[in-house]
Amino acid sequence: MELQDTYYNKSEYVETASGNKVSRQTVLCGSQNIVLHGKVIVQSDAIIRGDLANVKTGRFCIISKGSVIRPPFKKFSKGVAFFPLQMGDHVFVGENAVVNAAVVGSYVYIGKNVVIGRRCVLKDCCMIEDNSVLPAETVVPSFARYSGSPARFVTNLPEAMPDLMTEFTKSYYQHFLPTTVS
Amino acid sequence: MIPQVDSHYCANCLENMPSSEARLKKNRCSSCFDCPSCFHTLSTRATLAQPRPAPEAGGGDAKVENKQPKKMYYLSCFNCRWTSRDVGIPDQPVASGGWPERSAPHAARVSQLLEHYRAVAQQEKQDKLERERKKFAIRGKYITLTDKTGLTGAVARSIAGLGDAGAGAALAGFAPAVPKEDVEGLPEDAFTKEVNLKQITSMPQRLASPEWQPVSVSRLHPLAKLLSVKRSQRCRACDHNLTKPEYNPGSIKFKIELLAYYHVPEVKIISCEMIKPGAKSTLLLKLANPTGHEMALQLLPAAPPPPPPHGETEAATEDKDDSIEKSLDKSLKLDKEPRWPHVEPPAILTRVTPPAVTLTLAPRDDAAEYDDDARHEPSHIILWRKSNKLALRLELTTDPAAVEGSPARTALTVEYSYRNTVPQSITASQNRDHTLYTTVYLDLGTVGSAGL
Repeated sequence: MELQDTYYNKSEYVETASGNKVSRQTVLCGSQNIVLHGKVIVQSDAIIRGDLANVKTGRFCIISKGSVIRPPFKKFSKGVAFFPLQMGDHVFVGENAVVNAAVVGSYVYIGKNVVIGRRCVLKDCCMIEDNSVLPAETVVPSFARYSGSPARFVTNLPEAMPDLMTEFTKSYYQHFLPTTVS
Repeated sequence: MIPQVDSHYCANCLENMPSSEARLKKNRCSSCFDCPSCFHTLSTRATLAQPRPAPEAGGGDAKVENKQPKKMYYLSCFNCRWTSRDVGIPDQPVASGGWPERSAPHAARVSQLLEHYRAVAQQEKQDKLERERKKFAIRGKYITLTDKTGLTGAVARSIAGLGDAGAGAALAGFAPAVPKEDVEGLPEDAFTKEVNLKQITSMPQRLASPEWQPVSVSRLHPLAKLLSVKRSQRCRACDHNLTKPEYNPGSIKFKIELLAYYHVPEVKIISCEMIKPGAKSTLLLKLANPTGHEMALQLLPAAPPPPPPHGETEAATEDKDDSIEKSLDKSLKLDKEPRWPHVEPPAILTRVTPPAVTLTLAPRDDAAEYDDDARHEPSHIILWRKSNKLALRLELTTDPAAVEGSPARTALTVEYSYRNTVPQSITASQNRDHTLYTTVYLDLGTVGSAGL
C-alpha cells in the first residue's frame, strides 16, 4: 500500500535548510541542545526536552503528534543526572509515544501510545508494537519485535527491515506536503 | 527456505556464545536474569551496606573494613518491583555473576536416565549393525575383505572391549523406577486452610522453571535469561545460502543477503475506487524496479504460470499490502518436508483487465531522488513515471455475485525480465536473462464499503 499524502498547513510548519519540518505547535525545550540531522519531521504537540540533556536524531526521523522525547535520568547516591538521548536514522515514533530511551538505533519503529522506559537501549532494526510498555533499562536486540506490557519478544523481523524502514520514512517525507501545493 | 541457527547470543548483554557452550549452559546466559514473577529482565542495583549490621559479609571481613561502607549488589525488576531480597538471596559483593546456583532436586536421576537411554540407543545401533552384517554375509556369495578380517568399526571396538562393555555396564547398573502403591495423603487442612492467593505462584511462573515448579512466591528464584539466535537461511531446492548474518550480535549487516526485495518488482496500491458488485472500478498501482537493470514488465491475468523454459520456478507469491506480516508468516513456517509452502489461493471475485502492453522500467538509481518531479505521460494506462517507478491505471470488474461486506481480493500475474548478475560458470553465460512470473494477490478492502 502506497502511503497517502499527508497535508499540513504551510504557515504552521518551519522548514529548515537541511529539510527539517518542525511544527510551530511543538514544545522544544532547550533548543540549543537539540540536533536534528536533516529531513526530520516533528509534528504538532510533540515535546522534545533538550533542556535536560542533548537530544540528537539522525536523518529521516518522524516524530508524530503528541509524542514526548525525553532524555533519561539515573539516580545516584548524590542526586540525579540526565543522559543524552541519541536516535539513529529512519526512526518512526508513533503518536502519543513517550521515549525515555538512552539510545535508539537506526531503522526503529515505535508504535502509537508506546512508553519506553528510562535508559532503554533499542538496537538497530527493531519494532515496538502499538500500546506497548517497555520497562526501564530494557535492551531490545536487532530484528526483534516487542509487544505487550511489559513488552516481550514476539517474533523476528524480516532481514529486509533496513530497506523497508528506509522506504517507509522516505516516502512519508515525500508525502508530507504543504496544503498550498496541490 | 530452511532456517538455520547461525550463532547464539544473549538478548540483554549482547554477548556471543559458541553453540557447544550454549548447549552446556542449557541455552541460557550466565550473567543475565529474568524476573521470575513477570519475566522481564532483572537489573542489578547497588546499595551501600553498612558493614556493622551486615553479618553476611562474614565475621572476619566485617572487622577488617569496619569503617568503609561496602557496595553490595542485588537484582531488581523495574516492572513489577520484585527483588532478589524478597526471597532471601543474599546481596553480592560483585556486580555481575556469583549468584548462587540451585541444583535441581532430581538432577541426579535425570542425568542417570539420560545416560541409560544413551546406552540403550548405542546398543540398538550396534545390534542393527550386527544384523545387517550378518544379512550381508549370508546373501553374498563371496567373502569380502572386511568379513574375512572382521574389521568393521563396531567389531574393532568390541574386540578392544570398548563399546559393548561400556554400554553393557551402563545398562546393568541402572535401577528402574519402582511403582508405589501408597501415595502420601493430603494434609489434614488441605480443604479447610484459607488460601492466600498472593502467596501462590501462577501457572506460567511455575512452568518457567520446570525443574523446581515453585508453589509459593517465596520460592521464586531469578531465571537465567534464555539465549536468542541469529538466523541464516538456505534455499530448499539448491541448498544455497540466502542470508547469513554477521557474527557480531549488535550488527545488522549480512555476509550474504539475497532478498527478493532486491530482485522482484514491487507492486503497491496507490488508491482504489469503491468496489461494488457487478460494477467497474479503477485501481491505481505503483510498480518499482529494484534491480540495476532495465526491466520489461507485463501484467497477465492470474493463472498458473506457463512452464518456464529452463526448469526454474518462481514460487514467490507476494502480498504487498503488508509485506512485513506476510514475509514473517512465511519464514515462520517451519515445515520440514522439502516442498514449497502451498498457499491456498483466495477466492477471486474481482478481475483485473490487464493492459496488453509491455512496460519498461528504468534501472534503480539512488541519485534519482534528487531529480525533479514526476513526468506525466499522456497515455491512459500509465499515470506517471519517476526514475524506476511508474503508476498504472487498471480497470477492475467485479462479479455481480459478490456479497456485500465480503473481502474484495484480486490477483494478477506479473511477468518480468530478470538479469542474473551472479556470475555462474563460464558456460552458463548465454543464460543470463530470464523471464520470471510472480502472482500478486491484492487485498482491496471489502466489497461495497470504501476501498483502500
